[in-house]
Amino acid sequence: MNMTGIIFSEMYGEDLSVFTHDRNLAAIPFGGRYRLVDFVLSNMVNSGINNVGVLAKQNYHSLMDHLANNQEWDLNRKNGGLLLLPPFASEAVNHNNRGKLDELRNALNYLENATTPYVLLADAYVVYNMDYRPMLQAHIDSGADVTIAATRVEDSPAEFPSVFQAGRSGRVTSYALNCTARPGDFAGMGCLIISRQLLTSAIREYTARGIYHLERDFIQHQFNRGQLSLNLYEFKGVCLRIRDVDEYFNNSLAIIHEEVGGPLFRGDRPIYTRVTDEVPTYYGPECSVSACVIADGCSIEGEADNCVFSRGVRICKGAKVKNCVIMEGSVVGENVELENVIVDKWANITAGAELKGLTTNPVIIRKGATV
Amino acid sequence: MIERKKECIAMLLAGGQGSRLYVLTEDTAKPAVPFGGKYRIIDFSLSNCVNSGIDTVGILTQYQPLELNDYIGNGQPWDLNRNFGGAHVLPPYTRAKHSDWYKGTASAIYQNIAFVDRYNPKYVVLLSGDHIYKMDYHKMLEFHKEKGSECTIAVIDVSDAEATRMGIMSTDDNMAITDFEEKPKHPKSNHASMGVYVFTWDVLRQYLIADEEDPNSENDFGKNIIPAMLKDGRAMYAYPFQGYWKDVGTLDSLWQGNMDLLDPNDPLNIHDPNWKIYARNYASPSTRIDPGATVANSLVAEGCIIRGKVVHSVLYTGCVVEEGACVTGGVIMPNTVIKKGADVNYAIIGEQCVIEENATVGEKPESDDPFAHNGIAVVGHRKTIASGTVVKAKEII
Repeated sequence: MNMTGIIFSEMYGEDLSVFTHDRNLAAIPFGGRYRLVDFVLSNMVNSGINNVGVLAKQNYHSLMDHLANNQEWDLNRKNGGLLLLPPFASEAVNHNNRGKLDELRNALNYLENATTPYVLLADAYVVYNMDYRPMLQAHIDSGADVTIAATRVEDSPAEFPSVFQAGRSGRVTSYALNCTARPGDFAGMGCLIISRQLLTSAIREYTARGIYHLERDFIQHQFNRGQLSLNLYEFKGVCLRIRDVDEYFNNSLAIIHEEVGGPLFRGDRPIYTRVTDEVPTYYGPECSVSACVIADGCSIEGEADNCVFSRGVRICKGAKVKNCVIMEGSVVGENVELENVIVDKWANITAGAELKGLTTNPVIIRKGATV
Repeated sequence: MIERKKECIAMLLAGGQGSRLYVLTEDTAKPAVPFGGKYRIIDFSLSNCVNSGIDTVGILTQYQPLELNDYIGNGQPWDLNRNFGGAHVLPPYTRAKHSDWYKGTASAIYQNIAFVDRYNPKYVVLLSGDHIYKMDYHKMLEFHKEKGSECTIAVIDVSDAEATRMGIMSTDDNMAITDFEEKPKHPKSNHASMGVYVFTWDVLRQYLIADEEDPNSENDFGKNIIPAMLKDGRAMYAYPFQGYWKDVGTLDSLWQGNMDLLDPNDPLNIHDPNWKIYARNYASPSTRIDPGATVANSLVAEGCIIRGKVVHSVLYTGCVVEEGACVTGGVIMPNTVIKKGADVNYAIIGEQCVIEENATVGEKPESDDPFAHNGIAVVGHRKTIASGTVVKAKEII
């Protein structure tokens, strides 16, 4: 494979600060047994990429722990494999996110030593199942400097970090950041292909001048000056963006539906994750479960409707749980009633408690909390 | 150069056919038969080894080894991918002279003396990959050392009826073995061998060599090695084991072993975080239970999709139960699809089967006891049961 993968494990983290208190964005649990990073990482592996660098800046213990045994992704390679790229102890450490170019500077050595002509840059906050090989082919065929993966905005206007208009050939005609996309526009998926040569020279040149924003200061700026050609690669599959609590909640529950969960978890391109050797999930004699996605190691004795449970969740007798996302190891006690609640890992909802949020504003229980 | 050595290694006999599992072991060895939702039978012995601090396991294969070899791989799922030691699959091999299959359990170890000698161990734990149990072999090894034993055999107390089908140990008050009988008509004790042995290696080594030279020997531990050691007055002790131990070597016991896991007081307790049972994982997504489905009193592994009804059942990884299908008392092995309207009652369905629409497998008796049945129906691996077909109780397809 002539492409190296780089994953940004941070960026939109601040909008999900309730979850990123002691982990970074890429390590946020999603879809039962996964973490957000699993999706882009598995996509890379399934596309034949076996050199992957994961950029991490802060709170990355949880991510390291998750990726420690890179065997699960088949990335325990002698040549290549997975490398976590935390910052060098330089001035970059002392600044909050100044931009992706700043982060990429930490990967400069890694990128310069890579042998592939192309680099795939991917954000961890987007959940999708995609083969990057046709995208690379499209990039090569187009002759463009950068190819960006995007989805077509179908229904109502919505705001996206990057919005494109493109001609039929895929050549981008307009590129806007953080604005509202109208139906027919394209929304970026935080995923682009660029030649390694162009990327490394941009990192060196821009960061030397104190310019750090990859999209705005480099790609958009050069594009607007007519010095950089952009090609758009339309992705037609399921694409879930996780930028804030609302999106996290709604998209977590969306995977319960066949039309979303089916294409995301397909047999020919599995999503890999860390193996924890949990037992199969036990469903008690009096449980009632409908429209749920449930990981292994759970014990369900109460009622669950439209929920996602991570590994090792316990729903005790008499509990009623509706529209909830419950993360690893949390316990919902007897006769507890939950509706529209996100419960972070290892929380304990004690017997008889009653918590109700709104679909637009779910209640959030912090990691390890006792309610 | 300093010679590295291990105090204790394990040799796991995994070459048996398990012919009483019929279709389920037609093209796979018994230790590779799926069990308990996400495991295979051999996972229990392998996990016991690792949890007991044994990091070197020779796995002796002979009958249909493909699936088992593939499953063990480099031993990583059990943490047995070691630089010195780890999991090693040991099939029979040809030599300059006397090439042979493993004629019996003793011959299998005899042919791998060179493997054991590489680790120069003081003790060898001999196991069979046929049983479901959790056991700390380290404690047994300590017992072996304390007693100054040369051969220690783990025993479990069984009923008189069961005793007639097993190897029975008579012991003195100090647990020293005084007598050993294979399948006695009139058992003198209730201590049955579990097929778990600790040997002092240099002693066992001598007996293996002598046994191989004896043309009249069946080269079997139970029939030859143990009686020979007993006759010579070697220090032999029985190590009493308490807890769940099940030979899942028959279709009925395999089904029952799965159902035991549904017991709220599951005597095996596979949930114990301090004694995890490890298994190879296959990157399946979380299980999805669709609206209108019913799941009760069941174990469901990863990657299943349930739209129908599943009660008193164990569903293995990646099974699909479609709308209107009903599974009661089912042991459904990995990646099997139960199509719309199909009815599965008190049955074991092998891996990657398809039960077509409105087919019926097994019978549902009129009884209040959810586990009472008229006999288990069995469908072998990779079979398709055509639409509308009826497979009766006790039938084996």
